[in-house]
Amino acid sequence: MISLVRAELRKYFTTRLAWSMPLAMAVLGALFAALQGLFLAVIGEFPSPDGTMIEPAAMFGEDAVARLVYTGAVQMGYLLALVLGILSMSGEFRHKTITATLLAAPRRGQLIGAKLASIVVVVAVNALAFTAGSILGGAITLSIGDLPLFPDPGGLLATFARMVLVLVLWGLMGFGLGVLIPNQVVALFVGVGVTLLVEPLLGLGITFVDQLADASKYFPSQASMSALDLFAGIDPSLAQSLGGSEDALSWWVATLVLLGYAAVMAALGWILTARRDIA
Amino acid sequence: MPAPGGGWLTAGMTTRSEGTGISVQGLTKKFGDFTAVDDLSFEVAPGRVTGFLGPNGAGKTTTLRMLLGLIRPTAGEALIGGRRYAELPQPMSTVGSALEATGFHPGRSGRNHLRVLAATHGIPDSRVDELLDLVGIPAAARKKAGGYSMGMRQRLGLAAALLGDPDVLLLDEPANGLDPEGIRWMRGFMRHLAAEQGKTVLVSSHLLGEVEQTVEDVVIIANGRLARRGTMDELHGDPAVLVRTSDPGALGHALESAGLSAALDQEQGPDALRVGTGDLRQVGDIALAAGQPVHELRPLRTDLERLFLELTESPEHRNRNLSTGQEAA
Ligand SMILES: Nc1ncnc2c1ncn2[C@@H]1O[C@H](COP(=O)(O)OP(=O)(O)OP(=O)(O)O)[C@@H](O)[C@H]1O
Ligand SMILES: [Mg+2]
Repeated sequence: MISLVRAELRKYFTTRLAWSMPLAMAVLGALFAALQGLFLAVIGEFPSPDGTMIEPAAMFGEDAVARLVYTGAVQMGYLLALVLGILSMSGEFRHKTITATLLAAPRRGQLIGAKLASIVVVVAVNALAFTAGSILGGAITLSIGDLPLFPDPGGLLATFARMVLVLVLWGLMGFGLGVLIPNQVVALFVGVGVTLLVEPLLGLGITFVDQLADASKYFPSQASMSALDLFAGIDPSLAQSLGGSEDALSWWVATLVLLGYAAVMAALGWILTARRDIA
Repeated sequence: MPAPGGGWLTAGMTTRSEGTGISVQGLTKKFGDFTAVDDLSFEVAPGRVTGFLGPNGAGKTTTLRMLLGLIRPTAGEALIGGRRYAELPQPMSTVGSALEATGFHPGRSGRNHLRVLAATHGIPDSRVDELLDLVGIPAAARKKAGGYSMGMRQRLGLAAALLGDPDVLLLDEPANGLDPEGIRWMRGFMRHLAAEQGKTVLVSSHLLGEVEQTVEDVVIIANGRLARRGTMDELHGDPAVLVRTSDPGALGHALESAGLSAALDQEQGPDALRVGTGDLRQVGDIALAAGQPVHELRPLRTDLERLFLELTESPEHRNRNLSTGQEAA
């Protein structure tokens, strides 16, 4: 089993993806964190309850602004993590390496286990690059806005840890998707499309249905935001103005929800792979 | 790497000296309502080179993939050394296989492709380099596989098959896409594996000529069903030559008095004799001594060659998926 994980990691580290993906992670992290910082720390102003315009830091506190800036790119991050997860299996079908892989590891349950473990490691490594990029991009704009870079170091560390965890969980969800849809292009298209388009539209749609109005907070993207616990210590009604939902899940329930998605997807991947003919 | 041989540990198991055989029993595979392999049974003797022959679409690749646990049989069993492939403790150390349509990641070097496979079995990188030397692509294997020629892919596939130093080799059309030099190399290589290393080799081909000089046994299938099996000698039957002359009666007499059987071969025309020998030179010498002219002298197709030609040429044996219209059962 350990040797299968080692082989899977070797697979990842012997293609261009090994450096291009962390690079993309770091660059996009820096870019979107800087963009978020631009609005929250440099040029952004919000209408305060008495009607005058005030800066976000004055309204939400410096802690919250730093958190929001550093995690400003998280959507990019988990999309890329999803892609990493998808590629693990669909890449094998695309390049027809699945035959060689299964000849070396014919017990398919073990292979799936090894792939899941390697995705955790690979996405975690990439998430570190992503976090480093986010810190760089965020810190630049925070310092331009004359805000403290690390107002609450312990709290920020926890936020970064949660961000890494969220990315890892998206990687695992991607794995299931890659098994479900062995055609790599279609799988990527569906994965990114559902996250960026279908989920928000569906979320909007069901706000008009009373019984379902609450459901959207369980959707992967919404749950991911909750899992980051960005709005700790902020009045819920204020949080709404920043895109948080009023009755969001608590961070640990949200984490469990994501874990649930990942588990269901991985289990589907497991069952499908065990039965599939490789012809 | 062979498992460390240990007295009582290996007792009762198939050991290296006995060799590992292959057994296929009642194997059937249906894709939808199309039967690709149909109640197929055969054995492959340990330590011998067996040709697995059949026209395109006969079901060779499907059978090999079932042996390797890649395709789930609809019915029947395919065992290697008495076990299913997925039950082998270190599969690549028992069975090495090179299948058709095995791909390589275009951005990964051939050497790294092997290193990935080696990692699954704890095989050291030194073994990878050893094999790249053996198949003759040590330098090229450091380039990305995307640019490999067919010959390099086949060699890389063979190196992958040999990684675990297996007792059994399953090779699916290994000569496909090779140039004549490559084919010669491949033949020599297979002979070397069987003769000097005592490995069990099952090699598939849709061309008899490609393997007939290499294999000792043959299993022939058509339409997913067993058509014939046996040793090469059995299936070839006795060799025969055709000789054409102006007076077949006189030459026939001369041949018979030299101890050879000779008969008129009406199929080949009124002036043709079929002689029971494989020795063209002897027939020519006898004709010269008898003062009879020789207009043509050539070896006749053996039984095996005729059988194979029949299988590949008759429409009912062609790949049923390729033929149009409804197929008669
Ligand atoms: N996954 C599949 N789905 C449907 N039909 C299939 C599948 N795989 C193989 N077949 C069909 O099964 C038959 C046997 O195919 P197979 O590849 O085993 O033949 P083969 O003997 O290896 O032929 P070749 O000499 O061309 O390699 C063919 O008619 C093929 O079209
Ligand atoms: Mg084939």
